[in-house]
Amino acid sequence: MMIEYDLLTMSLCIFLPSVFALALLFFPKGTEEYMRWTALFGTALTFILSAFVFIDYKTMLDANPDANRGAAGVARAHQERTSLTGRADGAAKKEGAEIKAKDGSDMHARYSWISRFNIDYYLGIDGISMPMILLTTVLFFLSMIASWGIEKHVKGYCMLFLILETGVLGSFLALDFFLFYIFWEVMLLPMYFLIGIWGGPRREYAAIKFFLYTLFGSVFILIALLGFYFTDVQDFAHKDVLTAKIAEVRGRMPIGEAPGGKPGKGFPKGQKGEPKEVKVDAAALTDKAALQVQVHSFDLIILAKTGKAAMQWMGLDKNTEGKKKFIDDIVERRAREGIPTTYAAVDARLSQAFFTPMFQYVMFVFLFVGFAIKVPVFPFHTWLPDAHVEAPTPISMILAGILLKLGGYGILRIAYPICPWAAHALATWICVFAIINIVYGAFAAMAQTDFKKLVAYSSISHMGYVILGIAVWPEIGSQYWAWGMNGAMYQMIAHGISSAGMFFCVGVIYDRAHHRNLDNFRGLMEPMPLYGGISAIVFFAALGLPGLCGFVGEFMVILSTWNFSTPAYPHAGKVFAILAALTVVITAAYILWTLQRVYFGTNAAYKDYKDITVRELLCIIPLVVLAILLGILPMLVLQWMEPHVTGLVDSLMQVTM
Amino acid sequence: MLTEQPGLLFVAATLLPIASFAILLLWGAVRWGLRPYANDNPAARNVFEMLGGAVPGPGPAYVATAAIGLAFVCSLIGFCIFLGEVGTMHELEHELVHHQQAHPDKHDDKQGEKKDDDIDKLRGEFNQLKHHWEGSVDWARLYSSSQKDIDRGAILTVGFRIDMLSAVMFVMVTFVATLIHLFSIGYMSDELQKEVEDHEVHTAHGHYSRRGRFGRFFMFLSLFCFSMLNLILADNLFQIFVSWELVGICSFLLIGFYFERTSASNASNKAFITNRIGDAGFIIGLMIIWTFFGTFNFEEIFRRVRCPQVDAHGPITFKIGEDSAKHRIVRGNAEQKEGYPFFKANPEGSLALIFPRNEHLHGPQSEQKVYPEPGATQYTTIPYWLLVVAGLGIFLGCVGKSAQFPLQVWLPDAMEGPTPVSALIHAATMVAAGVYLVGRCYPFFTPEVLLTISYVGAITLFVAASIAVVMTDIKKVLAYSTVSQLGYMMLGLGVGGWTAGLLHLLTHAFFKALLFLGSGSVIYGCHHQQDMLKMGGLYPKMKITALTMLMGVLAIAGTPFFSGWYSKDEILVSAYGFVMANKQHFLLFLLPLVTAGITTFYMFRMWFMTFTGKPRDEYVHEHAHESPWQMTVPLILLAILSVGVAWGWPPHIPEHSWLGEQLHHYSQPESVKVDFAEADKAIAAHHGHEVVFFTATSVVGIGLVFALVLYFYGVLDPNDAKEQFPDVHRFLLNKWYFDELYSTLLIRPALVIAHWCRNFDSTVIDGFVNGLGKWSVLTSYWSGRFDSGIIDGFANLIADVSYAVGSWLRNVQTGYLRSYILFLALAAMAIWVLLYAWANAVIGGP
Repeated sequence: MMIEYDLLTMSLCIFLPSVFALALLFFPKGTEEYMRWTALFGTALTFILSAFVFIDYKTMLDANPDANRGAAGVARAHQERTSLTGRADGAAKKEGAEIKAKDGSDMHARYSWISRFNIDYYLGIDGISMPMILLTTVLFFLSMIASWGIEKHVKGYCMLFLILETGVLGSFLALDFFLFYIFWEVMLLPMYFLIGIWGGPRREYAAIKFFLYTLFGSVFILIALLGFYFTDVQDFAHKDVLTAKIAEVRGRMPIGEAPGGKPGKGFPKGQKGEPKEVKVDAAALTDKAALQVQVHSFDLIILAKTGKAAMQWMGLDKNTEGKKKFIDDIVERRAREGIPTTYAAVDARLSQAFFTPMFQYVMFVFLFVGFAIKVPVFPFHTWLPDAHVEAPTPISMILAGILLKLGGYGILRIAYPICPWAAHALATWICVFAIINIVYGAFAAMAQTDFKKLVAYSSISHMGYVILGIAVWPEIGSQYWAWGMNGAMYQMIAHGISSAGMFFCVGVIYDRAHHRNLDNFRGLMEPMPLYGGISAIVFFAALGLPGLCGFVGEFMVILSTWNFSTPAYPHAGKVFAILAALTVVITAAYILWTLQRVYFGTNAAYKDYKDITVRELLCIIPLVVLAILLGILPMLVLQWMEPHVTGLVDSLMQVTM
Repeated sequence: MLTEQPGLLFVAATLLPIASFAILLLWGAVRWGLRPYANDNPAARNVFEMLGGAVPGPGPAYVATAAIGLAFVCSLIGFCIFLGEVGTMHELEHELVHHQQAHPDKHDDKQGEKKDDDIDKLRGEFNQLKHHWEGSVDWARLYSSSQKDIDRGAILTVGFRIDMLSAVMFVMVTFVATLIHLFSIGYMSDELQKEVEDHEVHTAHGHYSRRGRFGRFFMFLSLFCFSMLNLILADNLFQIFVSWELVGICSFLLIGFYFERTSASNASNKAFITNRIGDAGFIIGLMIIWTFFGTFNFEEIFRRVRCPQVDAHGPITFKIGEDSAKHRIVRGNAEQKEGYPFFKANPEGSLALIFPRNEHLHGPQSEQKVYPEPGATQYTTIPYWLLVVAGLGIFLGCVGKSAQFPLQVWLPDAMEGPTPVSALIHAATMVAAGVYLVGRCYPFFTPEVLLTISYVGAITLFVAASIAVVMTDIKKVLAYSTVSQLGYMMLGLGVGGWTAGLLHLLTHAFFKALLFLGSGSVIYGCHHQQDMLKMGGLYPKMKITALTMLMGVLAIAGTPFFSGWYSKDEILVSAYGFVMANKQHFLLFLLPLVTAGITTFYMFRMWFMTFTGKPRDEYVHEHAHESPWQMTVPLILLAILSVGVAWGWPPHIPEHSWLGEQLHHYSQPESVKVDFAEADKAIAAHHGHEVVFFTATSVVGIGLVFALVLYFYGVLDPNDAKEQFPDVHRFLLNKWYFDELYSTLLIRPALVIAHWCRNFDSTVIDGFVNGLGKWSVLTSYWSGRFDSGIIDGFANLIADVSYAVGSWLRNVQTGYLRSYILFLALAAMAIWVLLYAWANAVIGGP
């Protein structure tokens, strides 16, 4: 079998860093400089590869324009064909795959891995993962430049760093929950060691705290993962998947049990004689197999379909007619597709735990907590300041720039699509946590005296906007929620850029002054004008100044918030919106106060500091350029990110409307 | 392209400064970046020298000045073309609206059809002309599949729309900015040195010295010019908000230009954070508008919030009593009728009606929007109180930006910035942006909001003027006078004097820029002395400065035939009309009237203290000198405009001011007349113009007399007045204790909450987490102990016991057969007994 082109590129993208990590193993002692270059080369190559992946993805989007677009001012249904669901269905059809036919790549690849448990090596890219992948490869490359100052155990550092990249990219690309979970755990250990070995004075405490917190979250995710797996999801799997499964079950079936057949004997293939009986038996067998078959899956796309169906099903709570129709529809659909099933069987399957409110609540909460720890959401956030303070600069960049995004990504990719019912029911409470994050993070940042801690708490505050944008599931007006979701995505990208930049700026001054106490700085602008100017841009980006990236996401989220309301709390959105709006004052206060304390004023001690070096410039300039570009031209990202984010919103809104 | 769309001239004018900013930013960045390498690396040194080397050169100033000068030329040309077209456009629009009013239904007869052709032709012409002056591009767009309101809330655009107000503002801003750039070349020349000594910063080794930063100043100025022009250019609130923040950050950067001074960096923080409080309100307003209107475009919002002239959208009650609802905000209640919600107009109704976007009726456009459902369902509503909140929110933004009560505290502190900055940003342009926005959003404001605006303006103008009376720092006096004049503008707008308020914005820009530049010239001439108590008798030393400043003083005081008079008189007339129509709001006329006298007093006090009398400080007087031509030329030009910018024919009637008439005819929203019809009637009925002219002139005269008596002739000693009312003086000197109030009410609580949050994290959450950690360590310790102590102990015990038993049993193994047999017998007996007992228990006995 020829390996698909997109499977190859996407897999390479994930494993290339690990290959370089493996290569580093053979470097002898004393060749530290070469190790660094090799690692840098590895990250650079991964970045280039991800750029190719992006080009493929963009080509696929452009080759499949939405039929409904075009008429100016009229916006309607989404790029359903290019959405992951659309592509998954297309790929399942085998013969179909119109998308593939156009340019040979649908950026969606599946390869059976552990077939006993239906676990696939299943990768795919859409508008939600693509920006995260690019952000990852860019930031890993830049952080590797920033890692030049690491002197201790260079080989180990570089290897762990590269393995970490594999874990992150794998998580972003995986479409199989099990695979996702594996990569999710792969990230954990390198990070633990990177903080625990190369960190500051309290590194062990921070590393263990990070490790335990994250592991705590992982356990919840694991429980959810198993919970989903024990559900029979065959009603929402594609018919070809089901057909294959039925064939498999049939193959395993002892012939003797077949009704109407002769007991104890099978029919050797190709044997002549008794053709009629064979035929009858085959059909009956298939029927029986179809009734016996169970599909358990980690496939995120199928699980999402099931989750959506669960929401519809539970929405029909007391509506017996509706429920009947719902089941009839499934039976009818299966009948059309030539797969026999019965009303009773479907009804039985819809009585599984998965389709009950309690299960949805518990699983959603588990998933949400698991991902919320990564984001981090109050009150699971205290690992972050410690981890940041102790981690070396490049690791802080990675941590704030990418690892936090995995939490938001998980919520968007897994928690919301699979448990939409609970997400909708709990929307107000998620918003409450988001607002606490925003306000609490900002206030806590204001009180910090450690520069890194301040940036860490500002991260908590800014990530609150991500959660808020995701959570504002309104009763009417899907476009408002679409602004929120897109804003959340944009905020993740923007925060990835600005927080990495901020941590880098802290690192630059830490290398010179060897302390991070905000009260002991002052007066850095005069000796280091270029550094000061760059820092100002990066901090203004975090402050949400228009023209820089931080503004766009924040503003989009804020625009979506007022519209949020639930029947129980009709004014909830207004309260959240006002609180979010008022926080801009606190944000301005702590950022400007920081600038004042670090860069303004005079300080004789730092008078002769050398300005930022060329290596440092190479690391920070791309971030500054990105911050400006994304601030001025949001469509640069929106145009290829928005279809699938808005598509997700639309598909979820369909259920409630 | 420009002939097709001359409005692009204004876009070019906006983009020129940002180009200059980009050039200067790169220039500076490369120069800064190369500085550390210039000594060692010859290539780096060459480039470094090419870019100006270690000593800052004047190049950046030329780039920035050329850019803004060119922008001025563009704006002026654009303005002239606009003047040529605006009349035609206006007539065409009237004709179209007139036709639609006469023939709401187009297809009633053949005559109508024939007329349709004419109308289509007119509409085509109108559209073409309109297209000259507006355009927009998508900035962010979502393709949502929402079924309702198909294009509501899907696009954020950036665009431009030129009307008379923005065209005039463009010319004003670019002109003043060009002059201030020119002035700055002189004023900031100290920054051209390699080492600049900052006399206000003290270190252990005397004064602090730093590198000159001439280029940086002009870089920030360019960024500011772009932001400000973008603000005027904008055709939507979103773009205004963006510019709003950008001018704010420029203000921050320029106030903190001397960031080594703690006072400067404090002032810049204060300015930005105070502004952000206003911005929070602005954001709330934006959110409400976005949620209910789904657009930020001004025209669309106004069309939807104000009752259109013609409506053809089915059954809806428009009449409120006798009066037609045209151009009003229509309130009503919902009534369910046959499946559609209908709205019954009712002045007390709790909903405000949002009208359908009927472009084809109203602002004729080529592209017609098609709606899926006809008729009354196209109307949506907004709770009336939210409309009020949205208006108040936007106004809060204006309060912050225009330093109105209660957020006026930042502007006087902002005088820490270099004087040209004060002139450009904190007098002529940025602080007026709030007034401009109120003027722009006018049709959107409900009567409640307008009344709030009036009162805020009235309170501000009085409070600020009262403080200005006791200030001795020349720039502080001007700062408070700026706040006070901005209050006048707000008041004027609030009481229905739309034209008056915005005309005052324009005239004020010229005379206040003049006054600030004049003060800059004085400060420069006196070697950075700002305290008027050290000045005096400077007239012979700097005649040009003194005379031009006198023009400014006369203008701001409202001396007849000076520009300030035209606008201030108009504001007072509007206030008078409003008060006559609503007697309970008499303060709205009384406060500005009294303050007109106070203004005259403190402005002349400033002029007299600076230029006349005996020199109070010999050293300053000795070294004072007139400024170079780059500084005096702008002064003279501004002085000319301060006198005559508002002139018209006949000159003695303020409402015939040419500039005012242009604004009034072509830009004043139709709603102003409707909302303030009663006030207009009251002006006519009570001889408003005459009354105001005589009372205001007398009050100004009284103010002048006081100033003459106290500060020119010295008949009375101002110190006596001080001693007479020490409490009042202290109260004013402390600026009504606003800073202290905010420090107690806002800043300290915020810091306290911040510390609570931090401590909550470190004690409660981390305490819990660490406690949990300790608990598990303890648990594992004890379980370890349990393992090693009890379980292992038990196992060991068993082992020990069996060992002991074994060793004891060894004694049993004697080797004698008889003892073995004995044991065997005993055991057999024991087994038998046990078996017997067991059988008894189970079977129930033999």
